[in-house]
Amino acid sequence: MSVETLFVMATFRAPENIGTNPQSMLWLLPLTAAIAVVYKATKLPKITAINFIKEVAVLFGSIIVFIAITALALHALAWLTTE
Amino acid sequence: MGQLSKKTPALSLLIVGLLAWLLPGAGHLLLKEKKRSIIIFVTIVLTFCTGLYIGSIGVIDPVGAKPWYVAQIMNSPMVAALGHLTAGGGFPAYGRPNEIGQIYTSIAGLLNLLCIVNAVYLAHLNRAKMAGG
Repeated sequence: MSVETLFVMATFRAPENIGTNPQSMLWLLPLTAAIAVVYKATKLPKITAINFIKEVAVLFGSIIVFIAITALALHALAWLTTE
Repeated sequence: MGQLSKKTPALSLLIVGLLAWLLPGAGHLLLKEKKRSIIIFVTIVLTFCTGLYIGSIGVIDPVGAKPWYVAQIMNSPMVAALGHLTAGGGFPAYGRPNEIGQIYTSIAGLLNLLCIVNAVYLAHLNRAKMAGG
């Protein structure tokens, strides 16, 4: 087995160093993209590159906007109850 | 697939479902949905591997995190082999990396479950179409 293969395998044996900071929430973006891609791959009757990318982008944007609105509402609620 | 579908309809649906579970996208490939199967395979495998990379293989924990494991095993039965490897507690993962890794691998599993159901449904529709026309 080559050194490169062993190196790649070794990276899966120890966790990455991710702090509990607001930036760590950005990890939701690739996951949201994956959800949008797979969902649209199962739902579209016919897959063409342009139509697929457009549909995925719309769904991805909708999810992000909804998350942002929910976060703002929860933040406002927390501010109102604690101030 | 067409011959098998005519003779044993339930068995053909089962084969599609099992293949889709064994390898993400394989169910759609059997139904000649090549583009769909490639998209599903690449996205699910990438999401699962990202989860493993962030949290290490320790995020697959059949003993301490059973509900997550149920979702993770929907990726493929091969996850059970990883679970067997980590069941002894030799790969501990804690904190935010563990949370993110578990969420990624579990969501990948649930997305594959969606694809399994979709592949079986498409196989059923194809069979109904063949029977009707």
